[in-house]
Amino acid sequence: MFFISLKAESLSKTYGSGLLSTGKCIFREVSLEIRKGKTFGLMGPSGEGKSTLGRVIAGLEKATAGFVYYNGTPLARMKKIEHTAFRRKVQVMFQDPTDAFNPRKKIGHAISEVLALLRVPGDEHASKTEEMLITAGLPDEVLSRYPSQLSGGQLQRLALGRILLLDPEYIILDEPTSALDVSVQAQILHLLKKVQAERNTGYLLISHDEAVIRFMSDSYGVLENGRLKIFQYHTNLKTLSEDKSIKNELKFWV
Amino acid sequence: MKARSGSRLLEVKDLQVSFQGIKTVNALSGISFSIGESETLALVGETGCGKSVAAHAIMRLLPPESRMNGVVEFRGKNLLELSEKEMTEIRGKEIGIIFQNPSLALNPVYSIGHQLAEPLRIHRKEKKEKALARAAGALKDMGFANAAEYIHYYPSWCSGGMNQRFLIAASTMLDPSLLIADEPGKGLDRKCVSELEAELKKLKVEKKTALLLISHDLAFVQRLADRVAVMYAGEIVEIADSSSLFENPLHPYSRGLLNSLPEKGFIPIPGFSPPLSSPPSGCRFHPRCPLRKKQCVETHPYLIETDGRAVRCFLYP
Amino acid sequence: MSPEAAHNEGSCITESCTGSCPEGQQKDSVFRFKFPEASLKKSRKRDDFLGQLNCGGIFLFAFFFFMALFPSLLAPCNPEERFLPYEAPSRDHLLGTNDIGNDILSELVYGARISMTVGFAASLVSTLIGTIIGLCSGYFRGTLDELLMGFTDVVLIIPKIPLIIVLGAYLRPSIWILVPVLGLLSWESTARVTRSKTLQLREAGYVKSARCMGFSSRHIMGSDILPNIYHVLLPKFMLATASAMISEASLSFLGLSDISMKSWGSMLSFAFFRGGFIQDMWWWYMPPGICITLCVISIALIGFGFETKQEEYAVDGEL
Repeated sequence: MFFISLKAESLSKTYGSGLLSTGKCIFREVSLEIRKGKTFGLMGPSGEGKSTLGRVIAGLEKATAGFVYYNGTPLARMKKIEHTAFRRKVQVMFQDPTDAFNPRKKIGHAISEVLALLRVPGDEHASKTEEMLITAGLPDEVLSRYPSQLSGGQLQRLALGRILLLDPEYIILDEPTSALDVSVQAQILHLLKKVQAERNTGYLLISHDEAVIRFMSDSYGVLENGRLKIFQYHTNLKTLSEDKSIKNELKFWV
Repeated sequence: MKARSGSRLLEVKDLQVSFQGIKTVNALSGISFSIGESETLALVGETGCGKSVAAHAIMRLLPPESRMNGVVEFRGKNLLELSEKEMTEIRGKEIGIIFQNPSLALNPVYSIGHQLAEPLRIHRKEKKEKALARAAGALKDMGFANAAEYIHYYPSWCSGGMNQRFLIAASTMLDPSLLIADEPGKGLDRKCVSELEAELKKLKVEKKTALLLISHDLAFVQRLADRVAVMYAGEIVEIADSSSLFENPLHPYSRGLLNSLPEKGFIPIPGFSPPLSSPPSGCRFHPRCPLRKKQCVETHPYLIETDGRAVRCFLYP
Repeated sequence: MSPEAAHNEGSCITESCTGSCPEGQQKDSVFRFKFPEASLKKSRKRDDFLGQLNCGGIFLFAFFFFMALFPSLLAPCNPEERFLPYEAPSRDHLLGTNDIGNDILSELVYGARISMTVGFAASLVSTLIGTIIGLCSGYFRGTLDELLMGFTDVVLIIPKIPLIIVLGAYLRPSIWILVPVLGLLSWESTARVTRSKTLQLREAGYVKSARCMGFSSRHIMGSDILPNIYHVLLPKFMLATASAMISEASLSFLGLSDISMKSWGSMLSFAFFRGGFIQDMWWWYMPPGICITLCVISIALIGFGFETKQEEYAVDGEL
C-alpha cells in the first residue's frame, strides 16, 4: 500500500559519537507516520529529544541512522529540486513566538520577504498578505509594528500565517502553546484546527501537555528516556495506555 | 474586601501605578485586596493585565519612571512611605519574593549554597559555616537526599525545576510571613509544576507563610489558593473564594477564562486584551463580552461586594 | 473577529522608549518593563557622566570633520605658499612657519583631511574584511570556521609596523599602499567579535525559521544576522579608526608616508628632522600632536558611547 505521507522509519540519533566515545543517544529506532489532514501527537518529559526528533523529520537535522520518507522518497536520496520542494512542503513552528521574528524588521517587511522568496509578483503581495492576516485573525496594523510591540499570542498567529504562505502539506508544531497564557492557548489551538480542516494539513504536534495532545491529536506516542527510546503504542485514542510492555518501536497507523 | 475579621497581614487599598514616558500608561487603575495570616491569595489574569506590576509595586521594585498612589499596609506600616533603607530591611526578611524564570534569578557564578546562605549572612549576620550548614538543613527539609552535595552545585548544573525549588528555599530561609510568587511555574513542565505545588503547600502548612500567588494558570491556582482575584486590563474584576469562583464564576471574563481550560474544551475568548495605554471606554472587557449591553460601552462599572464576593459588572448591580 | 475587538494589542507592560529604538519605530505605544538597577541614584549619575563624555566626543569630532571637509574656510592661506621660514607665531602666521616657509596653521587644517581619510579608509577596509570573515565563520561553522579562525590567528602574529617599513623600503610610499596594508592587518578582532555574535544569533528562532522556509544562507546572513550586529560593529569601526590614525601618525613620523600628502604625522616628522625640536619651536611640533590626540580621543569617546548603547540593548533583551 502506498500512502501519501511523511514517514519516519527506524530513526536513531546520537550526539558526539566518534572513534573515542559512543556519544549520547537521543533516541533509537523510532518509526512513525504523519498523514495529511491528521495530527500525530508526540509526548514525553522535557529535554528528552522530542524537539530533536521533530527537527530530524523536518529535515533540519540528519539522523544517525534510519530514513525519513516524504511521499515515498527517502530524504537522503533526494535531488536538489526535490529537496527544495520538500523544504517548502514541510514546515516547523517553533515554541517561542517572540523569537520567531527578527526584532529589527517590521512584520510587513518580514512577510514581503517570504513572498519574494516564493517569487510572488510585487503587485500581488498586498492581497496575499491580507489573505494571510484574515486567516490568522489579525488586524492590518500589525504589519507596521515591530515584533517587540506585539504579544505572544499575536506573534504565534503571525508565525502560523507566515508558514501558511508557503502552503505546506505538513507542519511540525514544536510546543506551540507552551510559552502562551492558558486563554491564548485556546485561541491558537482552535486556529490550528481550523487551518487543518480547511487545508488538509498534517501535523506533528510535540507537547509535554497531555491535555493539548488529547485535544488536538488523532493519535500519539510517548518518547521517554533518551537512552532507551520507549514508544508506547496506543490503540485507545482517548486515554493514555498503561501498556508499557511494548518498547523499542512504535509503528503507528491511523 | 475582608473575608475574615481581624487584622490583615497585607492590605492594599486603591493602588494605582502609572509609567511616565512618551505616553503615560496606567498599569494599575486602583486595585484593592487584602491577605490574612497564612492565607493564600491568587492574582489571576492574562499577560499584560498588571499582575506582575502589582507584585513589584508592593515590594517597591518598580523602575524610576513609575508613579505610585494608594496605600499598601503591611502589618500596619504603609510600605509606600518607607525609605529605601527601611524597605531593604523588610524585603527578604518579612516579605520574600520569587520571580519568574528561576535560572535567571540565580547568579550563575555563585554556588547554590552560597546563594542560600546569603540572606542568613546579611540579615542575621551569621557566620559563613553556620549559614551553609543551615542552608544544607533547609535543602534536606525540602526533600533533597544529598543536600551536602547540592550545596556545592552551580545553577547551570541543575534543571529549571530544581532551580525553582532552590529559589523557594532561598526566599524562605528567613521565614518571611508573606511570600510573593510571580508566575513560579512558568517555563516548567508538568512534573516540575507539581513538585513546586507540593513545596508551596508544605510552606503553607508547616511554616504558615501567607502567599500571594501570581499566575495565569488557573488549574495551578485552583489547587493552591484560598481566595482568587481575577484581573483584567489593570483592574480587579472579581474576587471570591477559590471554590466559589471555580464552581460559579460571575464575571463574564472569569467564565471565559475557565472555559478555555482543557477540561472545559479549550473554548477561547475572542479578541485580544486591550493595550494599557488606551483601554476601551466604559467596561474594559466589553469588546470581547458576549453579554454586553449599551451601558457597558458607556459607563465604567464599580467593584461591588455581595455575599463575601466582589464583582465589577453591570450584570450584578 | 469584530473590527472593534481588533485593537492593537500593545505589548505586555510598559517602559519608556529610549534612544535605542530601531530607526523609524513608532514611539507612541512601545513600553516594556525594565528591571531596576541596584542603586538608582548611582546609575543616574553614571549615565549623565557618560552622556556628557559622549556629547563632548561628538562635538570635538564634528569640529575636526568640518575642518577636513572645508579646510579653505578655516585655513588663513594655502599650505603650499611659501613665506619666510622658521618664523615664530605672529599676527600673520598664528602658528608660525615651517622650514620651507609654509604656514603651519594652514598645514594643520589641511592635514586633518589626510589623517582622517587614511584613518577611516583603513578602518573601513578592516571592518569589511573582519565582518565577512566573522559572518561566514560563525554561520557555517565546521571546517570553514576552523580554517578561517586559523588564518585569523596567523594574521594576528604578523607585526604591522615592521611589515610596512619593509614594504616602504621596496615600494614608493604612498597612501594607496598605506591604507590597504593597515586595513589588511587589523581585522582580526572584528572578525572574532562578529563570529561570536553570529554563533549566538544563529541559534535564534527567526534564523531557524528562515532556514526552515528555505531562504539562502547569503540572504539570512545579510538580512537577518547582519542588522543585529551593527551595534557591535559600529564601536569597533570607530575604535579601529582611532587606532589607524595613530598607526598612520607613527608611520608618517618615521618617514614612510606620502610626501605629497602632508598629514599631522608628517608635520611631526618634519618638525623633528628639520630642527624644530632642537630649536624648541613648540608651535611646530605641539599643534599636530595635540590634534592627533584630540581627534583620536573624540573618536574613542563616540565609540564608547555606542558601546554603552549596546549595553542598553543587551538589558532590553535584544541579545
